[in-house]
Amino acid sequence: MKNRLKVLRAERDWSQQDLADALGVSRQSVNAIETGKYDPSLPLAFRIADLFDLTIEAIFVRD
Amino acid sequence: MANWNSMAPYMRRYSIRILLFMTSYVVILTASLTFARSGAAHGQATRIGLALITAFPVIGVFWAIFRLLVETDDEYQRFLFAKQTLFATAFTLVIVTVWQFLQVYDVVATGPQWMGVIWFAMLGLAGPIARWKA
Repeated sequence: MKNRLKVLRAERDWSQQDLADALGVSRQSVNAIETGKYDPSLPLAFRIADLFDLTIEAIFVRD
Repeated sequence: MANWNSMAPYMRRYSIRILLFMTSYVVILTASLTFARSGAAHGQATRIGLALITAFPVIGVFWAIFRLLVETDDEYQRFLFAKQTLFATAFTLVIVTVWQFLQVYDVVATGPQWMGVIWFAMLGLAGPIARWKA
């Protein structure tokens, strides 16, 4: 699954660590999601969407 | 080594538990072996008791590892820990299976032993493999 996390993060001038702290996960986890190595669960996807004030489908897109 | 303060709470709890059980293991094993080999004749019940007491901290380490899987609130880290324990179990089963057949065909005198120790060693080996490119 592709995602726009890196772009959204850059728009806010957030580092991976900033995003990880806001989500309560490790920086390694943010990196894995951002690079598409790991697809987050629905609860985590909702937390990410809420943080960016967007819908899940505005962040995560089908391959 | 990771800084204690920057460590996730679940990892701190895991480290404390492992330290306590491993310290207990060294103390109990040393004391039990000293007592068992003191020269005095010990009954079957005493020897069973010594075996159970010595096994207790090892069982505690297994418990600590599985509590880590339960308490890890970072789902990607939990996925990596689960992968690591599955790899460790698979590697251990491979070793034990080969060892068992070496014994069946009289290549070695005794069959699989110290499986807990083998599993812990495999858990250590599985760590970097599970986290390869993670």
